[in-house]
Amino acid sequence: MALSTGTDEIVSGAEGPDEKSEEAPSSKNLAGRSPTQIALERLRKDKVALVCSAILLVLVLLAVFAPLICDWLNIYVDYSNPDAPRPSEVLGPDNYPIIGPPDHGFIWSHPLGIEPRTGYDNLAYILYGLRTSLMVAVLATAFSTVVGVTLGLIAGYARGWVDSALSFFIDFFLSFPFILGALALAPIITQRFGGSSDSLARAQLLSIVGVLVFFGWMGLARLIRGQVLSLREREFVQAAQVIGVPTRQVLFKELLPNLVAPIVVAVSLSLPGYVAAEAGLSYLGIGLTESPSLGRMVNNATNYFENYPLYLWSPVIVIMIMVIALNLVGDSIRDAFDPKTRR
Amino acid sequence: MFGFVVRRLLSSLLVILLASFAVFALFYLGPNNPAQPVCDSAGGSRCTPERLEAIEKSMGLDKPVVVAYGTFMKGIVAGREVTIGAATYDCDAPCLGIAYGSRGEVTEELKGRIVPTILIAVGGSIVYLVIGVTVGIMAAARRGSLGDRLLVSGSLIVSSIPYYLICLLAWLYLTLKTDIFPETGYFPITEDPLKTFSGLLLPCLVLGIASSPVYARYTRGQMVETLGDDYIRTARAKGLGGRTVLLKHGLRAAMVPIVTIFGLDFGILLAGTVFTEKIFGIDGIGRWGLDAISAPQDLPVLTATVLVGAIFIVISNLIVDLVYGALDPRVRLG
Repeated sequence: MALSTGTDEIVSGAEGPDEKSEEAPSSKNLAGRSPTQIALERLRKDKVALVCSAILLVLVLLAVFAPLICDWLNIYVDYSNPDAPRPSEVLGPDNYPIIGPPDHGFIWSHPLGIEPRTGYDNLAYILYGLRTSLMVAVLATAFSTVVGVTLGLIAGYARGWVDSALSFFIDFFLSFPFILGALALAPIITQRFGGSSDSLARAQLLSIVGVLVFFGWMGLARLIRGQVLSLREREFVQAAQVIGVPTRQVLFKELLPNLVAPIVVAVSLSLPGYVAAEAGLSYLGIGLTESPSLGRMVNNATNYFENYPLYLWSPVIVIMIMVIALNLVGDSIRDAFDPKTRR
Repeated sequence: MFGFVVRRLLSSLLVILLASFAVFALFYLGPNNPAQPVCDSAGGSRCTPERLEAIEKSMGLDKPVVVAYGTFMKGIVAGREVTIGAATYDCDAPCLGIAYGSRGEVTEELKGRIVPTILIAVGGSIVYLVIGVTVGIMAAARRGSLGDRLLVSGSLIVSSIPYYLICLLAWLYLTLKTDIFPETGYFPITEDPLKTFSGLLLPCLVLGIASSPVYARYTRGQMVETLGDDYIRTARAKGLGGRTVLLKHGLRAAMVPIVTIFGLDFGILLAGTVFTEKIFGIDGIGRWGLDAISAPQDLPVLTATVLVGAIFIVISNLIVDLVYGALDPRVRLG
């Protein structure tokens, strides 16, 4: 994934405070600040990061409260609710909606119009799609971070064959064609766990998260391995080893806290990647078909682009805003945590 | 040098073998029975459990996965006979099996479909290398100017937009709605090379332009770093022209990491061709794979596409390692 290019530049902020030692004597009230505090302060001053965070906050709130908002606006994403309009009530014989855009102007009851052919409300669908998209991205990021960090720690700390084997696996997965692998893997996981059509939606969610994690952990693992390779030679690690601290404690209590900065940066940069990947796989038809997905909406809307551009452009714009905002925040976080940038 | 190449070749081969086995085993152990559609379609009469079992046996599905994979590998080296249902097919030496859907030799179909994929990948990468590196050099030479700052912030935004959205919008609005690129798609190169070129021009341009901001930013970063080095000052001090310093001294050193990224990004490029092929309706490897997963799943086709993808990536990484030595005299392979 695109992770590898960005994360290579990150240097651990472990021993960050040394850059402050020169200015320290001059100021009267000395306040020790950890590298994380410095980074957070830099972020607070970054206007782009603030604006994008605000946009993301709005998107997250919209996604979290999607059911409430839809109830309040009286719009429906499917027919499970008896109040939802039947397709025959809102669609004409040509499958285009008989109220609202594209032919009858804007109406408040369906701000983004009605989906042709199914009669679902587009705004409701987008809100639920946002929900799916963020959920998949967050789950995939969480799992791939855990896998990547753990394997990276082990590979970097262990010497000999464990390191060689894990490094080989990292390289192997990196040379596996992601999208073709996803093509092969996604339907299998779905079929394994999706017996009835009821559990199919959940199985598809599981399968897409699985595929994203399966092909997404290597960048972070390699990064962490490299960091651990240099950290394990430092005095504090050697001291811990000498006084007999168990290996697991060395890994998670001594090494892990020093890797917070690269992990935070990698997480923030991988979120937009997963959002885009989920929509992309769903667009190709190998992701989600049972739950609302922005990628699938783009695919469905392609045929209507000429007569009903709003239907196509609304999911496209939402995906773009979400991915761009996530990327810009990630970029700001990387700058903030990078001890090489000084302002 | 020789030892290095041999070692790299061996490990590349291992990666390819593992990748193909992984896909093979995945499908073999997967819940879909490849014999079912064959049994359903054969002859019109109902599919009885006995007939299903007979077909499974004829296709070799009753054997353990390792044996089946062995047969598959033997077919690649020596060719084999493939039986699907009642029909038996003679599959020649580099045999990747018989496609369940079309009942043609996978190797033959692969030959036809690999050309457009390679053309798109090569064309796209030429476009983004040329645009990306040129823009990056220009920005680095005018560091701090308005254009440079616009490039840095603009490229971040453009490269954030998912590729398939750009590709889709380009197809909808440049091919379907307006006549700027009236005929896109793949036309066999043997019939009319000019038409092949014009048909693939838009797909290559879209793929290239969408990926170029990443390279522009990267090239700029590398060039800025290189141009700050002492030897650049020395070159300027002894009176060399600006262009010579920029290209011969600066770019040469900045090229090494760019080539590395190019090799590592080959997987992303392949993903790009899958979307390009789907959107522009080009019959390449990616679209083939996409068609093969829709039921009934076509195991031989999928194995072949993943195999080809892995070979592409492994070879590109190998080439990068070799080019590395040629570009950077400090790297000694061995």
